[in-house]
Amino acid sequence: MATILKEKESYIKKHALKLSSEYTQASFTWITSLALTIIFLVSSIDFSGKAMKPFVFSVFVAYALFTCIQILITFMIKKDLQSIGYLRNSTRKLGLIQLLSILTGNIFIFTFAIQLVKAEKSPEYTLAGYMLLTQIFIIAISALNLFKPYVADTFLPAMGALLVMAIFQLVTFFLIAKDGKGKQRARWKVFFAIPLMLTAVTGNLFALVLGWNMLMHERFMNSPSIGKWRKVWEKIASNMTAMLGLFFIVFVFSISICSYLTFDYGMAVENNYSAILQAPSLAYPLGTDNFGRDLFSRIVFGARISLIVGFLSTAIPFIIGGFLGAISGYYGQRTDNIIMRLLDILYAIPGILLAIVIIAAFGSNTMTLVLALSVGSIPTYARTMRANVMMVSNYEYVDSARALGSSNLSIIFQHVVPNSLAPMIVKATLTIGGAVIATSSLSYLGLGVEPHIPEWGNILKIGSTYLESHSYLAIYPGLAIIALVLSFNFFGDGLRDALDPKLD
Amino acid sequence: MEVEKVIKTNKKSQESKFSEIIRRTYTKMQPHPSYRWLVFILGFPVHLVVFLFYFKQREKDTYSTIVEETKKALLATGFKDKLILELKEQLLRKHNFFGQKVNQKEIEQQAEKWAEEQFQKTVQEKAASILEVKGDKRITYETTFQSLISNPLFLFLTFIPGLPMYLLILLYSNPYLKYIFERLIMSLFVILGVAFFVFTILYLSPFDPAANILGETATKEQIAAFNHLYGLDQPYLTQLWNALKGIFTFDLGSSFSGNEEVASSIARKFPITLLLTVISLIMAIIIAIPIGIISATKPNSFFDYTFMFIALIGLSIPNFWQGLIFILNFSIKLQWLPATFNPQNWLSIIMPAVVLGTGLTASIARMTRSSTLEVINEDYIITAKAKGLTQRQVLWKHAVGNAMIPVITVIGLMFGGMLGGAAVTEKVFNISGIGSYIVDKQFIPDIPSIMGGVVYIAITISLINLFIDILYAFFDPRIRSKMKQY
Repeated sequence: MATILKEKESYIKKHALKLSSEYTQASFTWITSLALTIIFLVSSIDFSGKAMKPFVFSVFVAYALFTCIQILITFMIKKDLQSIGYLRNSTRKLGLIQLLSILTGNIFIFTFAIQLVKAEKSPEYTLAGYMLLTQIFIIAISALNLFKPYVADTFLPAMGALLVMAIFQLVTFFLIAKDGKGKQRARWKVFFAIPLMLTAVTGNLFALVLGWNMLMHERFMNSPSIGKWRKVWEKIASNMTAMLGLFFIVFVFSISICSYLTFDYGMAVENNYSAILQAPSLAYPLGTDNFGRDLFSRIVFGARISLIVGFLSTAIPFIIGGFLGAISGYYGQRTDNIIMRLLDILYAIPGILLAIVIIAAFGSNTMTLVLALSVGSIPTYARTMRANVMMVSNYEYVDSARALGSSNLSIIFQHVVPNSLAPMIVKATLTIGGAVIATSSLSYLGLGVEPHIPEWGNILKIGSTYLESHSYLAIYPGLAIIALVLSFNFFGDGLRDALDPKLD
Repeated sequence: MEVEKVIKTNKKSQESKFSEIIRRTYTKMQPHPSYRWLVFILGFPVHLVVFLFYFKQREKDTYSTIVEETKKALLATGFKDKLILELKEQLLRKHNFFGQKVNQKEIEQQAEKWAEEQFQKTVQEKAASILEVKGDKRITYETTFQSLISNPLFLFLTFIPGLPMYLLILLYSNPYLKYIFERLIMSLFVILGVAFFVFTILYLSPFDPAANILGETATKEQIAAFNHLYGLDQPYLTQLWNALKGIFTFDLGSSFSGNEEVASSIARKFPITLLLTVISLIMAIIIAIPIGIISATKPNSFFDYTFMFIALIGLSIPNFWQGLIFILNFSIKLQWLPATFNPQNWLSIIMPAVVLGTGLTASIARMTRSSTLEVINEDYIITAKAKGLTQRQVLWKHAVGNAMIPVITVIGLMFGGMLGGAAVTEKVFNISGIGSYIVDKQFIPDIPSIMGGVVYIAITISLINLFIDILYAFFDPRIRSKMKQY
């Protein structure tokens, strides 16, 4: 017995570096953080004037400080893992310092620190951390409006409500952190879960998932049926890049809901000729455009359109393509042949061109745009669904359902489709990003969302005409698009690893 | 003399071999309804002759009398009543098991129907066995055709009138030719479908090109004259027919605005788009495949993470934004490369090609990595290692070749997306290619120009995919064996 234990220990020690999630996360964190630091350093120097921008430079100093500590922590983790095979408590304590990085807005270091300070992490703990982070970011971003000449009427009550929710979430976070691995029963969870799920009205979906997890945990302590849901979340929660992607998606979703109350729409659409093409300042964090509209507010309001169009133009082909694919995969033969050959026609036209044709015929507005983008991606969803349905409908449980006298339709929608959804969900997550890019590309060409609506492509279109003199007008909306698309891709990759579907 | 004889017999055996192939393939084609009809239509004169023979021979056929006799014999033994009772019992038990309500009349009807089916089947089986005992064969149209075809004289006589049919049958006898033929037909169908689809959408458009071009002040007569000039006053089917004819004869008439030949302006603009796409494609392949393979051989290393991270960023960058940033940095700030495209300056195609190829490079790198990783864990790679091959030999001789198969499919599919996506890049760099042509024309909407542009791009994509599929049929042993099975 003792020798086996010893052997196991030495095995763990030997492969500790590869097994430890903290070490890979630490490396990822210091590299990204260093990249951000360098970006701040470069942008703090005014090359033409040979001068420093004091504000950006101080941000750089703060980032550089935390990055240095992060590199130190990474070395300590490596040393710990190589010498004893696990992390010492003193190393984990260093994470407490890094938690302060939330003040600089460095989410990479902050999320890493949350992971580092606790040795045994339940998915609830990680979710609670991200929930809190989202709430703090929403409040911080909304608070930037304080520097504006005026704020929306609902600004103060909304901020108050957000703060109260944040405090409640902070309390929940500490309770969950104290709860350990979450194995024992705790009555308080039920009382916290429901209000927590109510705080999700701000769009903070982490709160919703966390509340649901707490509730279900309490209800079905020993139920195997809930296992899959928990297992998927366990896998996603341990994947840092996927969680960061999800964080940004939830954050954008949440800010586009909260902006109804905390942002003034007039700032984004009404012309203000006294503030044309101003450089970034506190009142206008990203500057103003050629009509004096606040670029920052415009980007915030643009998130709404991007998310709605991206979501709808994924959901519609998901349903139509999924239905056609299921029918054709289940019935096979002639049905399959007819449906798939007809979809081949759609598949032969590149998505963007098909969208251009539909928009040319029915005019450029948001509804046509959603329709145009949807039609083009029906065949890919149908193909994915068909391949899975063909695989699933050969399983024994389908045969047994048939032997028990279920009708074909009930077999398809009760047994086959639920079991072939995993690849579809992964595919949908990975293609929302594509839809967001397509939306902004078409808007940039003048074929998408109506030009008066602040949409990221429209903002970029204006920015592109001021490329030489005011390049920030084109850079910032582009960064927003990349961040959102990258987040969807990261989350989709994580989801694929967690669900592990067979993708063709 | 001797030699002549040998040649003669050789010729004869060849001939009979030929007719044998035709006979066998004909039998193989019968279960497929579409092929049966095609054979019938293409070889109509031959079939007419065969039909005459068939009528004459049918009189000698004993099959129908035997069927009648067996039917009578079976009915006399009460076989059918027994069947009905048995089936009724089965149905009752089934309904009882599921606790369903029993409807006596329905059950009786169902039982009778099934009994009749089974009865007919039994009768036919019995009749066939009696016929076999007698040493006869049932004379059908197919057997007549087969016996006639095996006759070299008949084949020789009907060779000229039935040439299309014989060609089709020969085509079917070779799996490769059959595959290519079917793929070609499918591509043709897709191209027709695309043309129909695009035309119909543009036809349904509520916009009025005449009003857009002539302006608001145009009189009714002017609009009517415009519509008449471009055939817009004709019924839908006529317009559709003209459009389809135009696509295949490369004569789409003149565009609504500018009054230029649509086909020739498309021909002028197509090469630059194709050149741009091909350059980006080559760049993507050269960069992405080595990166993907190296990442797969060292999974989860620093190198792997870094490159996959960069690839993911490459996938997430919108083309037009990347183009703008490139122009800002390399043209405006550093002044290395020209901001707009100019056919005389080859430096000016670098930026558009890089921008267009970024997404493709990222996808190919990711795809190569996952595909190679999958192959590396296969059993035959372990066998190759066990055989004592070095890492390098295993990788290049056994893994990479197989890993490339899905990658090439993806490249073929992505190439289509690139031809379409080129519109955005062309707009950013002010290239007058086919993509920006379509975008410029869509505001009117200039129906023949848009349709021509989109359909010719779709045709190019279909042909490329067809070419890749056919290449596969020759190179991938798995597809080859699957093809031979049917």
